[in-house]
Formats: sequence, structure tokens, C-alpha cells
Amino acid sequence: MKPAQDVLPNVPTCEQDIADLERVWRHPRGIGGWLSYTTHQAIGMRYIVTAFVFLLAGGIEALLMRTQLALPNNTFLGPDRYNEIFTTHGTTMMFLFAVPMMEGFGIYLVPLMLGTRNVAFPRLNAFGYWMYLAGALFLYWGVFTNAAPDMGWFAYTPLSGPQFTPGKRADYWAQMITFTEVSAMCVAAELIATIFKQRAPRMSLNRIPLYVWAMLIQSFMVLFAMPAVMIASSFILSDRTVATHFVNPAEGGDPLLYQHVFWFFGHPEVYIIFIPALGFVSAIVSAHTRREVFGYTAMVLSQIANGFIAFGLWVHHMFATGLPQIGEAYFTASSLMIAITSGVQIFCWIATLWTGRPRFTTALHFVYGFIAIFVLGGMTGVMLASVPLDLQVHDTFFVVAHFHYVLIGGAVFPLMGAFYHWFPKMTGRLMDEFIGKLNFWVLFIGFNLTFFPMHILGLKGMPRRIYTYPPEAGWGPLNHLATIGAFILAIGGAIFLANVFWSRKYGRIAGNNPWDADSLEWAAASPPANYNFEYLPAATSRSPLWVPPEDRTFVTGLRNDRREVLVTTLMDAEPHHRYVLPPPSIWPFLTAVAVTIGFAGSVFNAWYVTWGSILTGICLIGWFWPRRPLELEP
Amino acid sequence: MQKRSLALAALLILSSCAGHQQSVVDPAGPQADRIAALWWFFFWLLVAIFIIVMAFAVWTLTRPNRGLEQEPLEARHRPSEQKETQLRRIVTGATVLTIIILFVLLVFSVGTGKAVSELGNKNNGLAIEVTGNQWWWQVQYLNSDPSQVLVDANEIHIPVGRPVLIRLRSNDVIHSFWVPNLHGKRDLIPSRVTTEWIEADKPGVYRGQCAEFCGLQHAHMILYVIAEPEAKFKAWFQHALQPAAAPSTPITQRGQQVFLNNACVYCHQIQGTTASGQNGPNLTHFGSRRGIAANTLPNTPGNLGGWILDPQTVKPGNHMATIAVNSQDLQPLIDYLESLK
Amino acid sequence: MTEARTLDVSHLRPWEISSQAPLWWGQLFIDFIEGTMFSILIASYFYVRLRVDVWPPPGDQFPHTLLPSLALIPLILSAAGSYWASEAAKKNSRAGMIGGLLLNLVLAGAALAMRLIEWHSINFNWKADALGSYTWAFLGLHTFDYIADLVFTIVLFVIIVSGRYGEKERLGVHVDSVVWYFIVGIWIPIYIVVYWCPYIVETAQ
Repeated sequence: MKPAQDVLPNVPTCEQDIADLERVWRHPRGIGGWLSYTTHQAIGMRYIVTAFVFLLAGGIEALLMRTQLALPNNTFLGPDRYNEIFTTHGTTMMFLFAVPMMEGFGIYLVPLMLGTRNVAFPRLNAFGYWMYLAGALFLYWGVFTNAAPDMGWFAYTPLSGPQFTPGKRADYWAQMITFTEVSAMCVAAELIATIFKQRAPRMSLNRIPLYVWAMLIQSFMVLFAMPAVMIASSFILSDRTVATHFVNPAEGGDPLLYQHVFWFFGHPEVYIIFIPALGFVSAIVSAHTRREVFGYTAMVLSQIANGFIAFGLWVHHMFATGLPQIGEAYFTASSLMIAITSGVQIFCWIATLWTGRPRFTTALHFVYGFIAIFVLGGMTGVMLASVPLDLQVHDTFFVVAHFHYVLIGGAVFPLMGAFYHWFPKMTGRLMDEFIGKLNFWVLFIGFNLTFFPMHILGLKGMPRRIYTYPPEAGWGPLNHLATIGAFILAIGGAIFLANVFWSRKYGRIAGNNPWDADSLEWAAASPPANYNFEYLPAATSRSPLWVPPEDRTFVTGLRNDRREVLVTTLMDAEPHHRYVLPPPSIWPFLTAVAVTIGFAGSVFNAWYVTWGSILTGICLIGWFWPRRPLELEP
Repeated sequence: MQKRSLALAALLILSSCAGHQQSVVDPAGPQADRIAALWWFFFWLLVAIFIIVMAFAVWTLTRPNRGLEQEPLEARHRPSEQKETQLRRIVTGATVLTIIILFVLLVFSVGTGKAVSELGNKNNGLAIEVTGNQWWWQVQYLNSDPSQVLVDANEIHIPVGRPVLIRLRSNDVIHSFWVPNLHGKRDLIPSRVTTEWIEADKPGVYRGQCAEFCGLQHAHMILYVIAEPEAKFKAWFQHALQPAAAPSTPITQRGQQVFLNNACVYCHQIQGTTASGQNGPNLTHFGSRRGIAANTLPNTPGNLGGWILDPQTVKPGNHMATIAVNSQDLQPLIDYLESLK
Repeated sequence: MTEARTLDVSHLRPWEISSQAPLWWGQLFIDFIEGTMFSILIASYFYVRLRVDVWPPPGDQFPHTLLPSLALIPLILSAAGSYWASEAAKKNSRAGMIGGLLLNLVLAGAALAMRLIEWHSINFNWKADALGSYTWAFLGLHTFDYIADLVFTIVLFVIIVSGRYGEKERLGVHVDSVVWYFIVGIWIPIYIVVYWCPYIVETAQ
């Protein structure tokens, strides 16, 4: 039996403890067992793998679009198919890839970084994953039955209303949102509870790793932003299925209301995707430059400010609707202001790179790529904040370029770095560095070749969401270039997958801490045991693993014959009480099935809300039914 | 490296854009001109900032690797207090500079917005109402005198040098009016009226396009703004107010009969005939239009024939019915419509 | 191993029935989510109201205020039952928990009955117009939460009465009271918006 950690040399490993932990935390067997897993590593991996599959799906959709647009008056895709594909591409990337991928990493890493064994609500965690999977499958069921949504990923009314989008297409879209938002809200609630209540002793608020701060802030944003999209999509679904009049103009509903409610979610949504990526950058930069990120307090305050300000920007998506000038000026100011908080973080990272001792690993390559691409995207964002400029380039390929620069540069490049950085922790082997650097350059070149020309296309008058264009518009050559770039990007994706599969079998064995990094996940084995650590570590520094081994502290006294963790206080993380987590359970899966019956069925017949609620109620009773032992031994 | 040369290439391409249709950086009116000026100001300033930030980032690649030393673990990973203080000053300075630059951009942006909005607001009488439909533009020249109200489609004529108020409404979904050479865009929102002032300061034909996704044929909802000197505009306007010329040849007379006896009249109107359908574009002066089907195709007899026979192949999903016109009737119909100058 | 390098926590309780429990915090965040949803609905209601010239829309009668206002009394008092049960849960008093939960259920049930009776007198449904859609959205969503928690409380009641409970179920009683405070608390602004705001923002016909 290998020890759970080998970086606490003054602590002899106790064989009996390890045996108990292995037994208590073992995964249940069989298919029923697999459906009952509640460990955060397993569920985190499920999110990551599933989200990656949907990244590939969205990528294929993108290649189809780019093929159609490569030539003027092209006939590869007709308008209906093209409209379905661009809508599904945006929807997949935003709801089925970006947010779940960030959540998956959070679920995987946060308990490890906090020095605990699992999230605060393991069964809720499992339930959240099943809801995400159900929503994704529900949407793609629609896609493969000629009911893919076709009204744009933000589904403006009245186009998405019953009169102009007949059939089930928009219903699949709207209900998929309900599924994925329920999932996101579960993850947010459990991450905040875990971060607040289950930190390693002495990990006071000013010692929390920057990545964990990012997940904390992002989770709060999810709590307050996701309800808005639930309401917006429910407005649409309800108007379409039970003839209400929330957003349809016929009887007093208001299409602009839909935009306000949607973008109140939509703007924070991009930061919900982006802020965890900033956390990745901090973790990678500190590990691969071997110094703590410069300006911890400034970094934390900037991210918190980012989180708040993000809620005050949404109207910049609506500048063309004819708002009062004073409102426009306010939203320009707030949209510009967020550049300050992002800028501070970039400066701090550059300062860290400047004074650290960087090791130019693949992960660090992606950080540099992030800086180049994201900052350029930020520049175009500043342009878009200006109302007169926005009125020209809104709804053109200039905006498409902007958001791909900030989302791919700002979120996907750090994500790639995160894969290269944490792959050894998750699998026990390092990814190949040579292929990794090749991967980086192919992606970097492919990305810029695809999206830089789009800035020019937008300025040359090419609107978004058009399935074709005439040759006399003069947009052909740049579109052709962008399509070539898109295929190069696809090759980059293939190289990445090749590296993953090759490294899983032949990569160099990593050991616990191949990067000599500072945060607690690197104290666990690679991959971690289900219980993460034999003895939970305490955190007497912001960089606990850079404290000399003989000065480190750890927790004793937790029982190993049940799934027990330590709850600490909010501010200073003083030990407060012990907390027994439930064993694996099939109820989260069954509850998800019940909710799915309700949600999916209600798109076809409103009575399913009732049947689904009853079934869900029964499952919840099973979930919370008292189990033995009723009284806990101390 | 890669980034820089790409940016330069882009600048070259961009500057060759001047003189292009539908281009933001080729203004033909005072509003677009102000906006283009703001664009270049933002562009050069932000390019400079980008280069400076990238220079710092690239510089970090050249910092010497200090190698492993023998100090205790935690101390090894933190540079000296002096260095940290220096960094703190630099980062604070950079932040303050950022705030100042953003404030400057805010002032210029709001200033330009105000200036642009003041360019309109003139009371010299030309107001045009544009109503969006899936997937064509209805154009109505407003006037308090009903006999001076002109209804047209997919083309807007304006006099050079006079501000024109465009009132925007929609009969179905949200569309967006965008003629980049003249101004930014304004949405057409059902149950609301939005407005925009435009003005051309030189004659020309300016292409515009719907810029808010509005369904299947969003890509083919194109309009032209035709700016002419004041006198030419007035002449055109007076001519356009006239009902359609009566067909003068046997073929065109036959064509008119074909039109009036078919379902065409349920949607289209031709002033001076009994055709008064309201669902589709007004065809009174169709012959002098540049394009067919919201400028999906140029207006040629061949294209018109193809359109009439099979609109769904030209513009799949559009709302024009496919009317069975037999081969002897087609050419007269085409000739008649093209004669409506 | 040196004593100074270990932190022994074996003396700590393996359970906690108070706002320090993670479950209490999880429930708080669910309350944030629900509260945000209702806030957005309220904002949307006023946005629509301020864009329309005639309120109520033609043919609609504003909901009556008498029965819903009377129903506030058992509703608010039912929270006292929750409080009683919650305190009893902390002290492990079975009688107190049973008494508190019973009081809560009876009063909450009475308030619900009054609400359902009052619904019959609303002369429009959700399909009628914007006012109908919003009114029934508020009533429907809140009542859904209400009934869900009522069912949950009944199940808890059965478990406590059966004697088959431990610290985990007592924590459940405590957290259930937090849920109930939220459901009662969020009803106040919704009640004002649904029943009183129409009169305040009425336009003369």
C-alpha cells in the first residue's frame, strides 16, 4: 500500500490508518456502484471529460461553419442548417463546454488545495453532474432529430417565440438551460460551502490560494447570475408552451425585457468562464516561476472587484436598441472600468514572471499565449465599450473576433496550460513537453490566423450570423484565410489529444510534486487516493509546500473508519467540529432521472411538471432518509 | 513575433479598405466621419499600449535564470523586500496610467456620442420610416400631406447634405438598420419605434445590410441608400410619386394582365392598378430598382425570371409564394415589371 | 513525531447543529438563488408595467386583498413553530421538535388553504396578458416552494415521531426552519407586489 504523501518526512505512515481509509473511501463496485460515486476526483474528472467531448462537438460545428463561409455564395450548407449549426456551436461552447469544464477543474482541485477529503455536499455534487449530462444529451437529442435550436445562442424574442420559431427547437434550447443552470448552481453552492467551512487549519482568508479565490468569486457570481438566465429561458419556454405573455409583444410582453434579463446573466457568464482561468494562470505562474504571485492582496481585490463590476455592464450588449444617452455613458464607464481590474492582474503576473525563475514548460508557454491573446481581446473590448464605435461594429465579425480573443485567449489557453500543469497530478504521468510546445505553437498560429482577419471583416461591413455573402462584398479572401486557420486550430486540438493518449501510457512518472509547486494538492499522491491525504495538512503559509518539511503541521484525531473531514471557522480556519460525509449513494442519480423526466417531459406536455415533482419528491425522501448509525460515536 | 507581423499585415490590409462599400473606415457622412475619427484615435492608442505591454511580457523571457541556491525553501521563492517595493511602485504606476488612459477614452467616446447625436435634430423636413419585415425593407417617405407620402422598398433615396430622420419599426422580429458608410446601426424592435439621423455629404450608392439575426434569410436582407444632389433628389421624388406608367406595348399589356390575374396582387401593390396587397414590397417603380428580393440578386430580366419561377431556390424560406407562371406568360410579365421605371 | 507539529482534533464533536454547519450555509446559498430569481421577476414586472399605458389590462380585475392579508397571520405565526422546533433540535428535545413541527404544519397548512381559496376569485389566468403571466408566475413559483417545504417538513415530522433520528436529522430540523423563514420572508415582497402594487400603479380608466 503506497503512502498517501511522502512530503512529511517527520510523520511515519501508519499502515492501519491507510488500510482503514482505503476501505472506507473505496468506490462501490459494478454499474450501480459507478452510478453512485461521490468522490470529488471522480466527479471532477467526469465533468472534465464530458466537457471536452462537447468542446470537440462545438469545434466540429465551427469547422462546418468555416467551410461554408470559406467562399462567397457557397452551397455547402443551406440557411436552415447553417443557422442551426451556429446556434448549436455557441450554445454548446458556452453551456456545455466552458462553464462545466471550469467547474470540473474546481471540483477536482479545490478540496485538494484546501487540504480536505471531499466537497461539503458529495451527493449534491454527483446530482449536479448527472443534471449537466442529462441537459447536454437532451439538447443533442434535439440536434440529431432535426430540432437543433436555430435562433442564435441568446435566442432573442420575438424570433425565438412561438410565432417565428415553430416546433420544438427553441424548447430544447430553453430547457437545456434549466438543466445546466441547476447543475451550475449545485456546484456553486457546494464550492462556496467547502471553501468557507473546510479549509485546512490556519488557512486564513489571506492564505487561500489564488485559484481557490477565483473559484469562490466565480461561485458567488453563479449564484446571482444564473437565476437570470433561468428566468429568461423560462419566459421563452412558457410563452411557447403555455401561451403566457412575458416577452412576446402581442399582449404586453416586451422583447427588450428579455434582452435585459438575458444579458444580466450573459455578461457575468463570460466572467464566470474567465475568472477560473485567471486562477489557473496564477497557479501555473507561481509554480513555474518558483515564486509566489506578486501582489496577492491586489490580485484578490481585483478579482472581487471584477466579480462585482461584471454585474454592472450588461447593457453594453444593447447599445443599438436606442437607450437614453445617460444610460449609455454609465455603461461605457463601467465597461471601461473592468479593464482596470483585469489590467492589474496582468501587471502582477508580468511582475511575477519578471522576478521569478521561470522554467519554460508548455504550461508557461500557454500563459504567455494567454497574455498576448487576451490583452489584444481586451483592447477590442475597450473599443466596444465606446457607444459610437460599438454602433458600427456591434453584430459584426469584429465582435466575433473580440469574444473569441477573450474567451479562447482568456479561458482556453489557460485551460490548456492547466491540462499540462495538472495532468501529472490527475494521472501520475507527465505530458510530453516537446509535443506540448508544438501543440502550443500550432494552436497559437491557428487561432490568430482564424480570428484576426475577422476584425477586418467586421470593419469591412460583414455582419454576424449570415450563411453566405456575395463576391462583390470583397470578404472572400479574409474568410478563406480564417477557414485555413480554423483547420490549423483543429490540428492543434488533435495534437493535444494525441499527447494525452500517448502520455497516459508512456509519459514520465510524475511523483507527487514534479513542478516543485507550492499548493497543497501537490502533497497528495499522483493520482490522489480517494481520501486525498493520510493526515490532513495544516497551512501555516500562503505557499504551504514551500515551508521546510520539518516546519509543517498536520491534523490528527480524525476517525478513519468513516468518511470524516474537519470543519474550520470562516475567517481564520480554526478547527471547529468534525463532519461526517455520507457514503456513496444511488439517490443522486435517481433524483436526476426524476428531475429529467419532469424537465424533459414538460417541453412536450406541461403535466410532466407535476409527475416529475412527485417523482423527485420521492427520490429526495430516499436521499435524506435516516441511515444507520443514527447517533455518531465521538 | 508572430503577433507583431500579423498586426502590421493587418494594418496594411485595413488601410487598403478606403473606398470600399459598406466599410466603417470609409465614411461618406458626418456621423460616420466622427465615428471613424474616434475609431482611429482608439486604434492607434490601443495598438501602442498593446505593444508596450507585450514588450514587458517579452522582456520577462530574457530575464536571467538565477539558478538554484542553498537558502531555506520558502525564502528561496521570494525576492528581496527592496525588489518587491520597486515592483509595487511600477505596478501601481501602470495601474494609475491605465485609469488615466481609460478616462481619456471615456471622455472622447462620450464626446463623440454627443456630437453625433447633435448632427441630426434638424427640422428640415425629411423623415423616412423604415419598417423591417422578414426579409425585406419597407420604406415610407413621411409627410403631413398624404399626397406627398411615398411608399417604396429596399432602397432609400436621400438628398446630399441634408440630415434625414430614419424612423424604425418592425412588423415581426428584431432587425437592425446598418449602412456603415453613413452611421452606426439602430435596431428595429417590434412594438417600439427607434430613430436614427443619417446624412450623406457626397453623392453615391451606399450598401447596407440587416445586422440583427432575424431568421433564415438574414443574410439576404440588403438595402441601398442612394444619395443624390438636392435637385436630382427632388426630381426623382416627384417622379416616384406618380402612379405606374400604363403599359404601352402589347407585350407589357399582356404582362400587366398576367400580374393582375395571378396571386401577385395578394401581396404586392402597383399604384395606378388594382393591385393593392400590403404584405410584400411595393412594385410601382420596380423597373428602376437595383436589386430583387431585398437586393439578393441584381435586377436583370434573367434574374427576375428565375426569381418569379422559383423564389425558394433563390432565397430559401422567404415568404413569397411560388406562383405557377406558364412559359408564354413569363416573358411578358418580366417585360411589364421591368417597364415600371 | 514532535507534538508541536500536529494538531489533534479528536476532542471536537463530529456533528454541529447551528449556523456553523456546512448544510446551513448550503441552504443559505439556495436562498440567495431563489431570492435572486424572485427579485428579477419583480424587476421584470415593473419594467413591463411602466411600458404599458393601461393597468390593469382590459378585462382584468386586480386580485382581492382581504384573504391574502388575513392569511399572513397564520403564515408568520407558523415561523414561530419552526423556531420552536429548531431550538428543540439543538437541545435534543423530542417533545419540543414534535410540538414545533406540528404547530408549523398546522398553521402553514391553514395559510395554504386560504391561499388556494383566494385563487378561485382571480378572474384571469396566465394566458390572458402580461399581468396574468406575472401574477401567476409569482403565485405558482412561491407556492411550489411552499408545498415542497411543507412535504419535507411532514417527512421530518414523521421521522421524529418515529424516534428514528440522530444528529443528522436534528440538523435537518434546524436547517428546515431556515428554509421556512426564507419562504415566509420572501412572500412579503411578493405579496406586496401581487396584491398591493397594482393599486399603487393603477392607471385611471
